[in-house]
Amino acid sequence: MSGVRVVGRYSFILNGRPTTVEAPPGYTLLETLRQILHLTGTKDGCSSGDCGACTVLLDGKAVHSCLTLISQVEGREVTTVEGLAGSKVVKSFAESGAVQCGYCTPGFVVAVEALLRANPNPSIEEVKEALRGNLCRCTGYVKILDAVKMAISD
Amino acid sequence: MVSLYDIQVFTPRTLEEALELLDKMGGRTKIIAGGTDLIIQMRHGLAPRRDLINIYGLRELRYIREEHGMVRIGALTTFSEIAASEPIQKHVPFLAEAANTIGSIQIMNKATIGGNLVNASPAADSLPPLYVLDASVKIVGRKGERTVSIERFYKGYKKMDIAPDEILAEISFKIPDTDGRGLFFKHGLRLGDAISVVNGAVWMRRREGVIEDVKISLGAVAPTVVRARRSEEILKGAKPDDENLRQAARAVIHDISPIDDVRGSAGYRAEMAVNYVYMALKRLVMGR
Amino acid sequence: MTLEYRWVGKPLARRDAYEKASGAAVYSSDLFPENALYVVAVRSGLPHARIKSIDVSEALKHHGVVAVYTHRDIPNNRYGVFVKDRPVLCDDRVRYVGDPVALVAAETREEAEEAAPLVRVDYEPLPAVTDPLKAMGEDSPRIHEGGNICRRTRITYGDVETSFSKADVVVENTYTTAAQIHAYLETEAGISYIDERGRITVVAGGQSPYRDREEICHTLGLPREKVRVITPHVGGAFGGKDEITVQIHLALVTLKTGRPARMVWSREESNIAGVKRHPSIVRMKTAASADGVLLANQTEIIFDTGAYASLGPAVLDVAIENCNGPYRIPNIDIKATLVYTNNMVASAFRGFGSPQVIFAIESQMDQLAERLGLDPLEIRLKNVVRKGDYGVFRNKLEGSVGIDKCLESLRNHPLWRRRGEYKGVQNHEWIRRGVGVAAAVKGYTLGALPDRGSVALELNADGGFTVRASSTEIGQGIIQSLTQLAADLLACSPEKVRVILADTGETPDTSVTSASRQLFLSGNALRIAAEKMLDLMRDVLAKATGDPKTSFRFSDGHAHTMKGEAIPYSAIHSMMAEGGVATYVEGVYEVPRTTPIPGSLEIPHLFYMYGATLALVEVNLLTGFVSVLRVVSAVDAGRVVNRQTFTGQVEGAVAQGIGYALMENPVIENGMMRTLNFSTYLIPSIKDVPEIEVVAVEDGEESGPFGAKGVGEIGIVSVAPAIANALYDAVGVRMLSIPMTPEKVYWLIKHRR
Ligand code: FES
Ligand code: FES
Repeated sequence: MSGVRVVGRYSFILNGRPTTVEAPPGYTLLETLRQILHLTGTKDGCSSGDCGACTVLLDGKAVHSCLTLISQVEGREVTTVEGLAGSKVVKSFAESGAVQCGYCTPGFVVAVEALLRANPNPSIEEVKEALRGNLCRCTGYVKILDAVKMAISD
Repeated sequence: MVSLYDIQVFTPRTLEEALELLDKMGGRTKIIAGGTDLIIQMRHGLAPRRDLINIYGLRELRYIREEHGMVRIGALTTFSEIAASEPIQKHVPFLAEAANTIGSIQIMNKATIGGNLVNASPAADSLPPLYVLDASVKIVGRKGERTVSIERFYKGYKKMDIAPDEILAEISFKIPDTDGRGLFFKHGLRLGDAISVVNGAVWMRRREGVIEDVKISLGAVAPTVVRARRSEEILKGAKPDDENLRQAARAVIHDISPIDDVRGSAGYRAEMAVNYVYMALKRLVMGR
Repeated sequence: MTLEYRWVGKPLARRDAYEKASGAAVYSSDLFPENALYVVAVRSGLPHARIKSIDVSEALKHHGVVAVYTHRDIPNNRYGVFVKDRPVLCDDRVRYVGDPVALVAAETREEAEEAAPLVRVDYEPLPAVTDPLKAMGEDSPRIHEGGNICRRTRITYGDVETSFSKADVVVENTYTTAAQIHAYLETEAGISYIDERGRITVVAGGQSPYRDREEICHTLGLPREKVRVITPHVGGAFGGKDEITVQIHLALVTLKTGRPARMVWSREESNIAGVKRHPSIVRMKTAASADGVLLANQTEIIFDTGAYASLGPAVLDVAIENCNGPYRIPNIDIKATLVYTNNMVASAFRGFGSPQVIFAIESQMDQLAERLGLDPLEIRLKNVVRKGDYGVFRNKLEGSVGIDKCLESLRNHPLWRRRGEYKGVQNHEWIRRGVGVAAAVKGYTLGALPDRGSVALELNADGGFTVRASSTEIGQGIIQSLTQLAADLLACSPEKVRVILADTGETPDTSVTSASRQLFLSGNALRIAAEKMLDLMRDVLAKATGDPKTSFRFSDGHAHTMKGEAIPYSAIHSMMAEGGVATYVEGVYEVPRTTPIPGSLEIPHLFYMYGATLALVEVNLLTGFVSVLRVVSAVDAGRVVNRQTFTGQVEGAVAQGIGYALMENPVIENGMMRTLNFSTYLIPSIKDVPEIEVVAVEDGEESGPFGAKGVGEIGIVSVAPAIANALYDAVGVRMLSIPMTPEKVYWLIKHRR
């Protein structure tokens, strides 16, 4: 408002590790992750909550990091796609052909992880509902569904 | 798109603290709850950039309670919680359905019902069910609290009966009669998430072959959500035959005043209001 | 070369996929160079205006601002692949809302964004010309000095008028199609810096590093050796990154300041300043005899290219070439115009001019069938071209022609055979269902334009190979396809193949990645390189063993001698190193082509891709909402290199086709874009895309590497007409314009007589 950068200190658990970051309190979690922490696995597709590319887990639930302020994260637990490396969801996306340009993929991986943690055996309809806010322009979603099926049956 | 690099965010730990903060700087600040609307609006320059009072973490405003024939929902309850809530699913499944369509899962996990209400979009999907439920909102300030009916709360386009030093704390409504049935509908331009071109809710109770009671609300077709009172009058005491349903549906135009925007023309909106009310009535009558 | 395919055709998981899925893959927008300046463009915001003056002094005073550049900083301020009509930074006037007027470079993104509005541009507004028909009029205000006609041509064979008078049935309509936004998930983005050899290096999402380098060199007056362009992973392109986006702006800032720079367009900026699919008006008059034989087709095509030509001239050519569909039609007459307006710039987008005209011809075909009482599939099969036929341009079709097989596979499909049953399902009295079919054709390769590419191949000390090409990985899986091809060609396992792509400092020029033919081009060049490599290896082996050169067999990463000895490739590398033999070869492939017919740039192509789409839709009579319940897409694919990549490409194309047909509705009012983001410009979500069945018609394209045809585009081409035909089947209304939004469909149903 004054044109002067305001900075706060925020402590939270990031991918299982206690983390403290200095960032403007009005920065989004997405800005903080990408621009300050250089954790660029979380993607910015719209910065407006419309594409799901920036999805992270906040206290285990899928949320848009572009619509979460860093100051809202204080004391909470954040998991980004980097925290899911080696997971079966990552593996099933890679093996099902669900990845083309891949820019949407981390957001999908995180959203599917959240779904399967809450509901290990979802129906196709439930999968579609869980992923309806994640846009992919490349795949036509067919192989994304295949990937989720693979992750479920694993 | 601007970055909010230069704002302050204050995070009170209790409602009491929040009210104190508001008392001190209510006019210059804005309350942020889930933030899913406010952050976009501020970053796109659609709302003035202000310092924020962040109440997202206030647990005391996050609950769903059933007591004395009433359901009470704390303002900071998320739509995921509402959609999954047992009392809501049991007593007002159409509110659960509306909660399920307000946006993606990511939005539902973060957006709160109180935030949605004070954002005051006439297209908000949570509102039409609350209108047919004749819900009330509880507003608290340092000087005390008051309860206002939802219809009174909205005074015009984005105009609400709430002062800068007050917080919307709770939404409540009487559990409707068990022999009635409600239904939520929404017209979006795709099957995935989309802002409603028209939305609404219908609640109906039939007895001995006639419609004993009916309530119809419509969103996105006027500066605020509206009740289609003319249509309700036509239906009360009437037989649920096709002719009556059609006539009642056509009558919604007396209570709406749609406008053109990127999602549709006023003319199309009016037709959709009529047709959706017809389809909803028909589905309630047919039991499908 | 005869080969057994061990790896080609296998559904191997893509090697870039794991990296991408785990968030480790790096895209242009993920790069944050140390000490970088953040670059923001000041855009016109007006559709048409004369620039009276530009005052940057206030912006320069803003905290953190290092420099503000204008046209005065650009030595050659016009670029463009076909017509050099586009300014790097506008000088005398702005021609659309996204035109850049100045560049602000600041220490932080916030400072650059805040300073941008401080650049004072004094404009004299000019009338905005946004209706292409008006723009074509003599008295229209001129957008460019040469007038508003960017390209105009007429191509005629036979005599349409006589045929019309003799025909049993003539159908005539005007079709319109809206612009389509590429809406890749990663917006236009890049960084720049000076590399260790002093080169201005631009790392950006693009499709043609060599061509982008040419444009940078030309506009900034730099020699080629001073500029390097690298394309890392690209978060979607579909043709929209086939031309310059951020590259010249970034190079300018680094050139002037010596500092690294970063520029990332916001979603809104991408919707305004990124290129679009051409909006079109297509008038078509088609004649047939009573038994359904096509006699004549007269077409007038008007494509709105917006403020600048970009790749429009070539897009128009593709529209001309394909407006008669995959059919034999003896008499044709095509008038085509590419017109400048003050709308968003249109350029390449998957299908490249074909979807617009195929929407027209394939809607015509269904109307002819109905008028004649013929089955829509039969009338198509009756008229399709077959191998060895002459096409409408009197060109002999020597390549494989699989359209008949595509249509036959749909004729035998249960969705078509039992379409009556599918239609019968009705959940409410206001719901109807219908099934529609449409065929598609599009030339692939660059047609009659020269197109050559090189691929380099190196034998490594560990016995593996490195493939280098300037092809770009835009999500289509080129890395994986080249890996599998190389593994088969060089008889080694895919793990032994390393692929390095798209760096003008490291990889040879493999031409542009577009027109669905990058695999065809680089694959053939790779084949030539592999032949050279194996020959080189034989030479070395012959010298070392004394056996005749032709006696060696290669398999599993080993050379096998007559005596039954197996020599690992790593040993061959040592022999080469000791003998001072270069371990590096290059293969150059020139795509065979034809001579263009008069009036065209690149018609005809030597090769065509074909496809056909079957769609089942459900229509709500009370809302106009159309949902697609099922799609079957038959594609003439040549030999499939990687099945997963192939079906994935087709599924993605079908989904974009569904968006194009039904919901992608850019609202542009008087040159201003109103649908700036994904909440107003809707693209299909997972709930909007149905089950998609891909049927591969493998009819080996002999001249491709392993018979691979380009398939990147064909899947989108006939989706919209198949849906329009299904809509007609469902409710009996003929939609002549896309997108078929609920509101348009609703009024059409409501007002039908
Ligand atoms: S970047 Fe957050 S939803 Fe698109
Ligand atoms: S893979 Fe490109 S957007 Fe999904």
